[in-house]
Amino acid sequence: MEEKLLEKLTVLGEGAKYDVSCSSSGAARMNIGRLGNAACAGICHTWTADGRCLSLLKVLLSNDCAYDCKYCVNRRSADGPRRTFEPRELAELTMGFYRRNYIEGLFLSSAVLRSPDNTAERMIECLWLLREAHGFAGYIHAKIIPGVSAELLTQLGLLSDRLSVNVELPSSESLGLLAPQKKPKGIFSPMRQILQAQREQQTLKAAGNRGRLRPAGSSAGVGDGCYDDLRELAGRAGTPEAIDQLMRAGFARGGTSAVQGSAHSGRGLQTAPRGRYRERFAPAGQTTQMIIGASPESDLEIVKLSEALYRRFALKRVYFSAYIPLAAAPELPPLLTPPPLKREHRLYQADFLLRFYGFTADEILTPEQPDLDVDLDPKVCWALRHLELFPIEVNRASEEELLRIPGVGTVSALRILRQRRIASVGYDDLKKMGVVLKRARFFLSCRGKYYGGKEREPVAIREKLLLDERTLRDSLGSGVPPQISLWDTLNGPAVLGTRKEPAVWSAGNELSVRQEL
Amino acid sequence: MNYLYDKSFEGFLTCVWHDYYSERAEGICAADGDYQLDLLRYGQTVETDAEKAARVLEAIERKISVWDAERLYRVQRTNEPEKEMKMLRYIRLGFRIGGRLRLLHGDPVVLAVQKAEQRLGAEAHRFCGILRFSSLGNNLLYASIEPDNDILEFIAPHFADRFRWDPFLIHDLRRGKALFAYNKEWKIAPLPADTKFAFSAEEDSFRTLWKRYFDAMAIKERTNPACQRRFLPARYWKHLPEMQNA
Ligand code: SF4
Repeated sequence: MEEKLLEKLTVLGEGAKYDVSCSSSGAARMNIGRLGNAACAGICHTWTADGRCLSLLKVLLSNDCAYDCKYCVNRRSADGPRRTFEPRELAELTMGFYRRNYIEGLFLSSAVLRSPDNTAERMIECLWLLREAHGFAGYIHAKIIPGVSAELLTQLGLLSDRLSVNVELPSSESLGLLAPQKKPKGIFSPMRQILQAQREQQTLKAAGNRGRLRPAGSSAGVGDGCYDDLRELAGRAGTPEAIDQLMRAGFARGGTSAVQGSAHSGRGLQTAPRGRYRERFAPAGQTTQMIIGASPESDLEIVKLSEALYRRFALKRVYFSAYIPLAAAPELPPLLTPPPLKREHRLYQADFLLRFYGFTADEILTPEQPDLDVDLDPKVCWALRHLELFPIEVNRASEEELLRIPGVGTVSALRILRQRRIASVGYDDLKKMGVVLKRARFFLSCRGKYYGGKEREPVAIREKLLLDERTLRDSLGSGVPPQISLWDTLNGPAVLGTRKEPAVWSAGNELSVRQEL
Repeated sequence: MNYLYDKSFEGFLTCVWHDYYSERAEGICAADGDYQLDLLRYGQTVETDAEKAARVLEAIERKISVWDAERLYRVQRTNEPEKEMKMLRYIRLGFRIGGRLRLLHGDPVVLAVQKAEQRLGAEAHRFCGILRFSSLGNNLLYASIEPDNDILEFIAPHFADRFRWDPFLIHDLRRGKALFAYNKEWKIAPLPADTKFAFSAEEDSFRTLWKRYFDAMAIKERTNPACQRRFLPARYWKHLPEMQNA
């Protein structure tokens, strides 16, 4: 029995690790989205031998797929062991891990077990057991299988913190070719339903609070007995006087020295109170993922699609995953094609420009230049195409203008604005504020002075920037061992940015973009 | 004058009182400290006095700020070398310049205290993730830790909230004390480091499952122990089941 469970966990964990389709690559680290804990920084529980942070139990419910997507290891026509969790089994496993503080939550995905609805029913059973029978209030991210019925989706949404429906491929033609059983309608109608459910929820805020769930009758009995144990332990631990002394809070006005408290006393670590488990529909929103490099779409099409997805469905994130050839098919790139990691990285940068820097897809790419430059980041490329707007004077520019300067990020732009209210900003200050001067110096002026050298031609600037990129990569080659993204691992050179704060450097490529663009 | 005190926050504040009213302190050190032998030899033991301490605390809150009083309380919980003198210098400076003290990030006196506090916060946050419970049966959870700083009460709210339906016990082996919590209430009491507990029968199988899963999630081709160690320093491995060789 136990051997079987061990094997299932290994197979279905491995499946979730590499599978680019139904499971996730990019979500290894995320904030806890539950209301009341939204400001909480993500908690990493451990780091795997390759240095990636592990915080969610990421598994497939099953890898026994009825579909035959050409790019996927689990497709019906592939060989390999097939395993399926019993819902009860997975719920207990998750609970056991969570109680021991191994994990922060569950990331549940699955292959299509007979049909989308059948799979969804099993997922619901598992999540329901977790929430209702075990009283699990931790984080749950569930993947939705395209084509699932509306009712089941509603149930899944009420049980999960975050949902994602993968668009899989950047165009419906590619989808038809490579994943013939998945239909665009099957993908977009769940997305729309999630969006609507969330809109409704916003208007009916207080509805649906049914309190924390606990199997009836069990809480009092179990708990009280245990508290006696605790008291006994505490009693043994020290003399009654010692404990008394500890309990004395007299001195501690303002709570500075009490060594006793309650969960919400807010002393020490600033932990916001977690909301009680409420029946809310996917409070952490929805995300999606698409495979890059398995089909012929240009970057312009991909960026435009993400822009539309953000606008139309209010997605929290669009994840990209570089295609790794796992199967030979005439429709697919040949085996041994290296995964387009650099392209994935640049797409994430473009995604950041869309989300935080006020760019539109049409600004980032044009029909004449439909693909991102692998050598330079998309913001620099845009700036080089629009040199007439530069240099921008940092002491006069608006926030929007500051954000357009390559090397000035959202944080440094704010710092510049704040500093400017007190005194004008000098060139030396910029570095302290986090501006990446080796990029920015070509595009800004400071107290009227330009620091980018004499040559103002796009070609000359480009050359200088490229030189910097190269030396950066060389210097990273030695020195500190770089943390890798999931896909770097298989092939090709690592895609790396500058490392400033290891804290934000935890998971995949998408996070390495957090540098100042 | 060198002062020796009992390592409590109140004791420290009493030293501050003496620094102000009796004789200026040149060193402050724990009475049972095994380093700084010089201080120990020539030091004068300070009797912890709740009333004096309360007056000093009140002065800090009034002349500097409540926020700084709490900051000092946290720094007292760190393992920062010579933290007492660093805190004392902070207080002295604060009494001169008042509430804007904490804004002087560039000042070495302020920076020293700020750094120590940040290290404590970072370690407490880290332990929210890397602390591992074991089941003792009858639903009681037990975790042993050996943190650098005295973080028990700073991780208490987090765990007391998360495990509000499971009574638990977090045992700081290094300091011989433990956090007891149930139903959102918690307290800290001495618990000798050599107190041993018997784990429940299922404990082993969960550890094996976790270890196996953990190993499966690593990408063999890119094993990078240096990188792993940077995020998860080896001194913390002892209490992590996934880092034990089966
Ligand atoms: S539906 Fe397609 S992508 Fe998902 S597991 Fe099955 S074959 Fe793979």
